Amino acid sequence: MKREKRSPLRIILTVGALIVAYLIVSVPFKVMEIIPGFTDIRPVSMLQPVYGIFFGIPGSLAFAVGNLITDIISDSLRWSSIAGFIANFLGPFCFYLYWGKLSRTPFDLKTMKNILRHIVVIIIVALVEANIITPSVAISYPEVDFGLFFGMVMINSLAFPILLGIPLLIILQEELGLTPCLSNRNKRAENQ
Amino acid sequence: MNKLQANLCLVCVTLLWSTEVIIFACIPDSVVPFATTAITSMIGGVLLFLCFFKRIMAALKNGGKKLLLTGVLLSVLNCGYNVMYQYGLKEFDVSTGAFTISMTVVILPVILMMKRQSVDKKTWISAILVLVGIIVSYLGKLGTISVPGLLMMIGGCIIRAYYIIRLNEAAREFDPVSLSALIAVFVGVISFIIWFVMQPATFGAIEWNTQIIASLFIHAYFIVMFAQTLNIFAQRNATPAAATIIYSLEIIFSLIWGMTMPASIVTPVTPDVFMLIGAAFIVLGNLSEIVSFKRKAVKQL
Repeated sequence: MKREKRSPLRIILTVGALIVAYLIVSVPFKVMEIIPGFTDIRPVSMLQPVYGIFFGIPGSLAFAVGNLITDIISDSLRWSSIAGFIANFLGPFCFYLYWGKLSRTPFDLKTMKNILRHIVVIIIVALVEANIITPSVAISYPEVDFGLFFGMVMINSLAFPILLGIPLLIILQEELGLTPCLSNRNKRAENQ
Repeated sequence: MNKLQANLCLVCVTLLWSTEVIIFACIPDSVVPFATTAITSMIGGVLLFLCFFKRIMAALKNGGKKLLLTGVLLSVLNCGYNVMYQYGLKEFDVSTGAFTISMTVVILPVILMMKRQSVDKKTWISAILVLVGIIVSYLGKLGTISVPGLLMMIGGCIIRAYYIIRLNEAAREFDPVSLSALIAVFVGVISFIIWFVMQPATFGAIEWNTQIIASLFIHAYFIVMFAQTLNIFAQRNATPAAATIIYSLEIIFSLIWGMTMPASIVTPVTPDVFMLIGAAFIVLGNLSEIVSFKRKAVKQL
């Protein structure tokens, strides 16, 4: 199947729509404290693999901008938001990089082997994000418990993409017909 | 979607359903359950219509009256079993109530048999394991079980079993997104009528704040829009009996929340030996349904 070349206007509109979708999911969780003492629950992390795999670099950018806007709306814009922006761009980008460029087979979650491969990518992404965000918070706010903060970033980046993100990816690809962003090598493999 | 994917989606749906108690804990008791159902179903239904307008209109054009009637029937059944559960569960403590809901696992294959539909041997084994789990969990509390409450729960389970069978049939016949949107809207309307009867001031009776609004939206996104649609898509590729067995995992998730979440959110659960053995049987029943014991997997074409 040949993928259409997207015009700049279409890319901008896609990024805009993805940012709106991000905000719709993230904002309700920012205005309320569901579990006392556990302030930052981010089910929006489930969208990270979706944005990276199906929308590539524009998706990664939308995810990072969405996170930044959420920080602004919830009055939590700090210097550490710069690290947050980088980490939230790199997260979806890693999924794109693996499934679009590095993997020898095109993306699908039809077999247990591919699901396990995807989970390994999620773990790597969680580690990358936690290692970018935690030091920046540590420098800006020495009073924060870093161990707890690192743990919270890891839980958010692992639990939601695995428990909710995998079924979402399955539905989007298998039932709603979304096609992943593929490298030329994977495009050839898919055409064969 | 293959069977493995369908099963994973069903596990996800069950996990989401089990988190309902956590979301409800953020809504004050002054907001009656029918108000929550009415508002969240309406939000979910409207959002699905907005996102998939063309698709739903095309499905309505093709399915027409039959799709609408199926949507109404499923919504009535959905509201019916939820009402029975709501009143039945008042007679049980949290953990025994959760185990009782799983009786659907046993009732459903019996209904299928009565409809002269075949049920896999593997599914029967799973259903029996889950039933053993429920019975074992009761052992420590035999004297405290209320008969009217139990009858109400059995009634609810029968309606739920019939709902799952009809949903499974409808998922194969109609577009899942359209079906999900219609069910959400109709459940919203029915719940609103009940809410109006119980509390004529309806929206005016709620003391609105950002916490309530956020909780309602979260419920609408995750339980109505996502879980319900995911459930219908997965049902298309699973048998109703297999789906019900996976739904029984809700008890396990509820037990985990009961043991780990603060008491301000979920009624704390301290599981006794019988509950732990019961839970183990339920997990075993699920594993025997989900895991394929065949040596070679059949390749999907």
